Amino acid sequence: MAELNGMTGKIARVDLTSGTVTVIEPPEELYRKFLGGSALGVYYLLKEGVVNPDVEPLGPKNMLQFMVGPITGAGANARSVTITKSAYNFISIATSGGQAATELKFSGWDGIQIVGKASKPVYIAIVDDVVEIRDAAHVWGKGAEEAEMILKKEVLAETELREAMNRDADLTPEWAALRPAGRKGLGEKRLASVWVIGVGGENQVWYANVMTEGARAHGRYGPGAIMGSKNLKAIVIRGTKGHRLADKARFLELVNAIHASEKNDYFWRSYGTAGIGARSAYVEDAYPIRNWQWCCWSDPKNASMEGPWMDAASFVHKQACPNCLLKCLTTTEVTSSDPLLDGTMTDMPDWEAMGMVGGNLGFFELEGKTPSDPFGGTHIDQAENLAKLQFTTFLHDNYGLDYIEGGTLLALLMELRQRDLISVDDLDGIDLKWGDVHSVDEILKKIIHREGVGDTLANGSWETAKYFADKKGNPDIMKYVVTTHRYGQPAHDVRSPADKNAMEYVTVGRPSEHTGGGGAGFKEGDWAAAIAGQNNKCATDSMVSCSFPGGHFAGKTVDLIKAATGWTDFTEEDLFNVGARQYAMTRLFDIHTQQLTDPKEQWDKLVPNRWFKDPLPNGPHKGAIAYEGNSDKLFNEDLPAYWKTRGWTEDKGIPTQETLKALGIDDVAGDIAKQHL
Amino acid sequence: MTRVERRDKEPEPTKEPKQPSGKISRREFLGMTGTGIAGLVIGGVVSREAFPKQVEVPAQPAAAPAAAPAAGEVPAVAEALAGYTLVFDPVQCTGCMKCAVACSEKYGAYFHPEETKNTVNLEYSRIRPMRFQYVDVLNTCHYCELMEWAEGTNEFPCQAVCPEDAILTIPEGEGESGYFGMGYKWIDQDKCLGVDKCWRCAEICEDQFASGISFDPISRKAQVCSRCGGDPECVKVCPEPLALQWVPMGRNGRFYAHTPTEYAELLYRKMYNVRREL
Repeated sequence: MAELNGMTGKIARVDLTSGTVTVIEPPEELYRKFLGGSALGVYYLLKEGVVNPDVEPLGPKNMLQFMVGPITGAGANARSVTITKSAYNFISIATSGGQAATELKFSGWDGIQIVGKASKPVYIAIVDDVVEIRDAAHVWGKGAEEAEMILKKEVLAETELREAMNRDADLTPEWAALRPAGRKGLGEKRLASVWVIGVGGENQVWYANVMTEGARAHGRYGPGAIMGSKNLKAIVIRGTKGHRLADKARFLELVNAIHASEKNDYFWRSYGTAGIGARSAYVEDAYPIRNWQWCCWSDPKNASMEGPWMDAASFVHKQACPNCLLKCLTTTEVTSSDPLLDGTMTDMPDWEAMGMVGGNLGFFELEGKTPSDPFGGTHIDQAENLAKLQFTTFLHDNYGLDYIEGGTLLALLMELRQRDLISVDDLDGIDLKWGDVHSVDEILKKIIHREGVGDTLANGSWETAKYFADKKGNPDIMKYVVTTHRYGQPAHDVRSPADKNAMEYVTVGRPSEHTGGGGAGFKEGDWAAAIAGQNNKCATDSMVSCSFPGGHFAGKTVDLIKAATGWTDFTEEDLFNVGARQYAMTRLFDIHTQQLTDPKEQWDKLVPNRWFKDPLPNGPHKGAIAYEGNSDKLFNEDLPAYWKTRGWTEDKGIPTQETLKALGIDDVAGDIAKQHL
Repeated sequence: MTRVERRDKEPEPTKEPKQPSGKISRREFLGMTGTGIAGLVIGGVVSREAFPKQVEVPAQPAAAPAAAPAAGEVPAVAEALAGYTLVFDPVQCTGCMKCAVACSEKYGAYFHPEETKNTVNLEYSRIRPMRFQYVDVLNTCHYCELMEWAEGTNEFPCQAVCPEDAILTIPEGEGESGYFGMGYKWIDQDKCLGVDKCWRCAEICEDQFASGISFDPISRKAQVCSRCGGDPECVKVCPEPLALQWVPMGRNGRFYAHTPTEYAELLYRKMYNVRREL
C-alpha cells in the first residue's frame, strides 16, 4: 500500500479476551470519506455490527475506539476522540485534549479499537509498533490522578532506559567517594501519555470518563464505563515516529499563521471558558441554578463567576494542549476554611463545571437564601462557595465521572428532596441539600462503588428519576429530570432566547451535546445553515481538532488537510460531507440499537419538561420558555423541515437510500435504514 | 443608556501625525524602558521574546527620514552570545511544545534532511516539555560542571564519563553559526558510540544531575542542547512572556540541574502545597 500522509494508515485492534492485537489497514478511500476521528469511528461501529441491538454496551462484543485524525500530531492543537456504544444504549462520541493524542499519532497509529474483555485488570502499553497488554493490579482501585502518574513512568521509549554502565573507576576518585548510594533515578524521562479511568469507570458508572493529565476528559456518554467493563484501566503511549505530512513547509506555515492569530486572542488566553460565567447568568439568563429552577441571580453581586475574580481567588497555572497557544486550562489550589476542601489540587472550574456542579447544586447562595434573594455575604463567602464547586470538580475528575450528567443527577436528587418527593431514607440516610458539599462527597462515594442506592444512581439521572417515579408511584418525578435524549443537559439553557435554541439539542447528533454547532441557523430557522454548522463540528471532530480555536482556523482548514494528506482536490464540500455522513450514521445508530419504531415519540421528544412548563422566574429574560412555548411547531413543522433538508424522511427522520448513496455510505448504512423506513 | 464599544484597533488618526521631533510618545517611552531594564541585566542585548509584544510605532509619513530602529525592534542579525543559559519559569510555561517543535525541526533538518523532509518528529528536539499533572517541566541540558575542589575535575559530568571524548566544548570562533560554537556543547558524531553500545552520559546525568541527554532515533548518537551556538531557536518561538529566557549563566549550571521528577515534586509543593512522590 502506498504510504499515506497525515494519517498512518494503521489501526490497532486489541482483543482483550484472546490477548491478541491485529492491524487494520483502512484503504485511503475510507480516509477521504471520513478523514479519521469520530466519523471513521462511527463507520466502524456500523461495519463491525456494534450497532446491532444484541451487542450489549457493557458486554465483551462492544468496541471502544480511540481515534485521531490527519492533522493530529503537528497540527495547531491536539485532541483524541472515543467512539463506542454508550451504556445508555446510544452513540457515544467524546473528545479530549491532551498530549496522548499526539503520542498516538507519533507512535504510528490512527486509532486503537478494543474488543473483548480481559480476565483480570490490565492496561495497554504502546511504544511505537509494540502494543502490549500488561497487568494493572497495582493501579486497579486507584483514582485517575494517582494511577496516571504511576503508569506514566512505566512506559519509556527504547532509548530511554538501559542497564547501568558507569563504575566508580570511571569517575575521579574524589567524585566516586561522593557518589550517592543506590540509584537516585534512571529512566527519568516522562514523555509517555496516559488515558485512564477512575474508580467510577472500574465499577461501570454509566457516565464514567476516560481521563488524561488529571483534568482532561473524554467527558460524555461514558466511554470510561465501557473501558471498565473490559477490565481495562489505562492506555499508556509513547511514540517516536513523528507525523508524516505531504507538504510539511506549507503545513507548518499554516500552523504558524494560526498561532500568530491565537497569540492575540485575549479571551481564551486569559481565562479560557472561565471567562463567561457571569455573562451567562446576568446577560443571557441561561445559567443552571438549582436544577434549572433559576437561570440568573436577582442580585448581580451574588456570585462573581468571572475569570478575573476566580483568578484572584485561586488560579495557579495555565496548561496548553500540544501546539496550542490558547492554554485554556487553568489549574488551581483550593483554599477554604473547610478542611475537607482546603488544599485540593484541581483545575479551573471551566464553563460546564461552573454551571453543572456549581450553580446547579446551589453552592452559590448562603444558607437560607434562594437565588431570588439578595446575596447578603462578602467576597470571602463567595470564595468559600467557589471552593465547594472546585472540590466537586476534583471529585468528578478523580473518580472519572462526567460532571454534566453527574451535576444533572445530583441536582435532580436535591430538587426531589426540596419538594419532599423522596426522603432521606431513600438516599441511604444522606441528607442531600442545596449547597451541601459534604453530602455530595458522601453520595458520590456510594455511586462510584455502586453501594446501596448508589447502584441505581450510577445508571445516570434518567434511570434514577424512573426508579424513584416507580418506587413512589409518582410519575411527576420525571418532570424534574433535566435531560435531553436521556442524558444531562449541559450548562446552556434553551428557554432564554439569548442562549441555545431548543432545536439545537433536539437535532444534535450526540444526545444533549452543547458544542454541536449551527446555533445561529437554528435561531433563524435556516436549516441549511444549521446543518452546515453541525457538519462542520463533525469534521472538526474527525480531523481531530478543537472547536475553541475554530475562528483562528477559518479559511485554513481545507488547506491544512490538503497539506497534511496531499489530496490536492479536497474541497470544502468534502469536509461538509464528512459531517453529513456522521449525522446519517449516528441517527441510524441510535434508532437501530434501541430498535425504535416511532423515533419522534420515543426519542426526539425526550426533552426536559421544564423547557415548556417552567418559565424563567427572574433575570433579563424573565418569563421566557423554550421555542416561545410552541412545542407543536418544533416537533411537527420545524423538525420535519430540518430532516427534509438533511435528505431524511419527514416522518421518522430516516436517511433515504438516495441520500446514503449520494454520501457513499449505502454499503454500511443502507440495510439498516431500510429496516426503519 | 450609553454603550462603550470594544475597540480592537487603534482609531484612525484624524489629522496628520506629527513629525518626530525628539519628543517621544508615552508608548515608545514604555517600550524603551523595558529594553533599558533588560539591557542592564543582561549586558546590552535584549532577549528576543522576553518582551514579545512589539511596540507599535505610529505609521510614519512617507517623507519621514529613515530613523534609527524604533524602540523594541528586533535587530535583523541575531547575535550569538557566550556564557548564557536557558532559564524557564514553570508557572508561565504552558507546556505547549512550540520550543520542542522548533528545535526538532532545526536539528532534524540539519542531521537528516532527507528523512525529515516530510516529517515532524520531536525526537530530534534537545528541549522537551514534560507534562506532569498540573505542572509542566521544561527538560533540557543545564550545563552543570563538576566542582574541581570536591570532585577532582571541572568537566561536564557527561564529558567526564564519556569513554570516547565525544562530548566537545566548541570554543568561540569555531563551530557553525546558528547551530554550535561559542563555548557550548556538541556531540562528535564520529566518536559517539551510540545508545546501543554506550549510554554513560545519559546515565550519569539521570543518576546525579538532570535528564539532559537523549538519542537520535536514526543515527542512535547522543543529543544534547548546543544552545544553537548562542542564539537558541526555542527562546525565539516561545509564546509566553518570560516563560523561557536566555540569560547570562550566573553560576555553575548544576544549580539549575534537577531531574524532571525532582522539579515536578518541588513544583507540587510550591504551587499547590501538595507533597507527591513520583
